[in-house]
Amino acid sequence: MTVQKSHFVCVVCPIGCEIDVVHEDSEILSMEGQKCDKSEEYVRQELLEPMRILTTTVRIRGARWPVIPVRTDGPVPKRLFPRLMRQLKRIELQAPVDMLDVVVSDIAGTDANIVATRSMPQER
Amino acid sequence: MEVDVAVIGSGPAGLTAAIHARGSGARSVVLLEREEELGGILKQCIHNGFGLEQFKQDYTGPEYAERLIQDLEETDVQCFLNTLVTDLSPDRVITALSPEHGAIEISAGSIVLGMGCRERARGSIGIPGTRPAGIFTAGVAQRFVNIDGYLPGRRIVILGSGDIGLMMARRLTLEGARVIGVYEIMGYPSGLKRNIVQCLDDFDIPLHLSHTATGITGKERVEGVTISKVDSDLRAVKGTEQLITCDTLLLSVGLIPENELSQQAGVEISAATKGPVSTETMATSVPGVYTCGNVATVFDIVDHVAQTGATAGASAARYVGGRLNGDVPHVDIVPGENVRLLFPHRYSFQGDLLLFIRAAEPVEKPVTVEVSPPGSRITRPYARPNEMLRVRIPGAKLAEVRHPLKVSIREK
Ligand SMILES: Cc1cc2nc3c(=O)[nH]c(=O)nc-3n(C[C@H](O)[C@H](O)[C@H](O)COP(=O)(O)OP(=O)(O)OC[C@H]3O[C@@H](n4cnc5c(N)ncnc54)[C@H](O)[C@@H]3O)c2cc1C
Repeated sequence: MTVQKSHFVCVVCPIGCEIDVVHEDSEILSMEGQKCDKSEEYVRQELLEPMRILTTTVRIRGARWPVIPVRTDGPVPKRLFPRLMRQLKRIELQAPVDMLDVVVSDIAGTDANIVATRSMPQER
Repeated sequence: MEVDVAVIGSGPAGLTAAIHARGSGARSVVLLEREEELGGILKQCIHNGFGLEQFKQDYTGPEYAERLIQDLEETDVQCFLNTLVTDLSPDRVITALSPEHGAIEISAGSIVLGMGCRERARGSIGIPGTRPAGIFTAGVAQRFVNIDGYLPGRRIVILGSGDIGLMMARRLTLEGARVIGVYEIMGYPSGLKRNIVQCLDDFDIPLHLSHTATGITGKERVEGVTISKVDSDLRAVKGTEQLITCDTLLLSVGLIPENELSQQAGVEISAATKGPVSTETMATSVPGVYTCGNVATVFDIVDHVAQTGATAGASAARYVGGRLNGDVPHVDIVPGENVRLLFPHRYSFQGDLLLFIRAAEPVEKPVTVEVSPPGSRITRPYARPNEMLRVRIPGAKLAEVRHPLKVSIREK
């Protein structure tokens, strides 16, 4: 275990505080630059496991367009993005699809579902 | 065909305007859209971050659009898709073309302009070199990937650090392309800090400030881009050229309101905002013609776009109802200290003034926005050129004003 210094830009709100943190692994020893308490939670999570919403597209058959936009319905570990992308490349949906339809549930054991972010009716 | 209100463009501005025009008493409202679907540019902005203010939700672009479309479908607003408006006359006659209806002529009691903006292209920045395939604006690439479902290339250089370019850096990386770097001529990024973090830093994509493209090579297809450092006068520094091998160059160098139609109607265009000179009711210089969204001025967030759409729609309905006069007294709104851009340009004594302000220089400390007369002072935590400030001045405070309103941003 070593004491390290890291720099973060908090993305909780538009202010985007620049924060310098002294930490031992994921334990925060001190931090400066933040303007509110929310940053601490953000930085702790960043040290532990950066989490993000993934937005992408998947193939769809029978619709006007060849792809449909989707997202995770909650934040997932950022490091799993390549795995999620690979898995999503393999699937193909069939129109019609409604907005917020679950496309893949509990993707890669993340507890998050992949949901459609628009409806796509079936094209005649 | 005769209607009370005709809205041109079905992005968030036009959709909101149509809903509000109908809701504010217009009896017949039509919405004209050249694309085959409603929603405008939001359909291709598949990332999240939309509607935090208006809906208190973190929507993606398509979700935000669908939410508005659902609201529109509750009304009897008539939508014409695949319908390109080709002409607009000062007496509010619209000519449009559609494969289904042929040439249409619509005579409207009032009109709302909601045509959005377009991206600056290569011509507007003048990079020398060959003219091969493989050069796109970031927005065109966004459409290719997110709607048409294919990659524009495999090894990509992005010129300019606008938000759409940043989004595409992440998107293309996720899809397996190699984004070599983002090159920005200015000494600071033009996109939001949070987008730099989430789109570039998250994926280890380098951002090179004070760099620009000084050449393009390749005959049929782009084979490389020459990148040079620039000095403080933004001139390329000799001897700093490096050739970067790539098959695609994306440009993310700014947006401009799309006002060809507005000009046909004789609408006065502001040199500062590149959109119609407008009042707080979104009235342009032509009576009965209103404006909103990115055709009015390039906004940063969709909530602001929708807010101007709501005002424009309501005003258009009041105009046909005879409750709003086209020719009313007004005072100008003029930039003072540290203000680059202001919207609207005039105040016409019709209620509160919602003012959008772009700072000239960043101030990373609390600032006071001063509007004088009437001498209103509003505090904000910071002022940044890439995040418009928005302040509301109550109409009651402005009733007695007879001189131009001067807007300044000062460190508190
Ligand atoms: C390529 C691009 C990508 C963007 N990405 C983002 C983003 O990721 N995040 C963000 O917050 N903002 C983004 N923006 C800004 C975005 O434009 C606004 O947030 C918002 O969508 C603007 O809404 P609007 O209604 O003013 O314009 P738009 O959404 O552009 O809608 C204008 C509509 O008018 C139609 N139209 C234009 N001319 C005519 C005509 N003559 N006849 C008929 N119809 C016509 C167009 O087809 C279009 O549907 C982007 C802008 C562009 C240009």
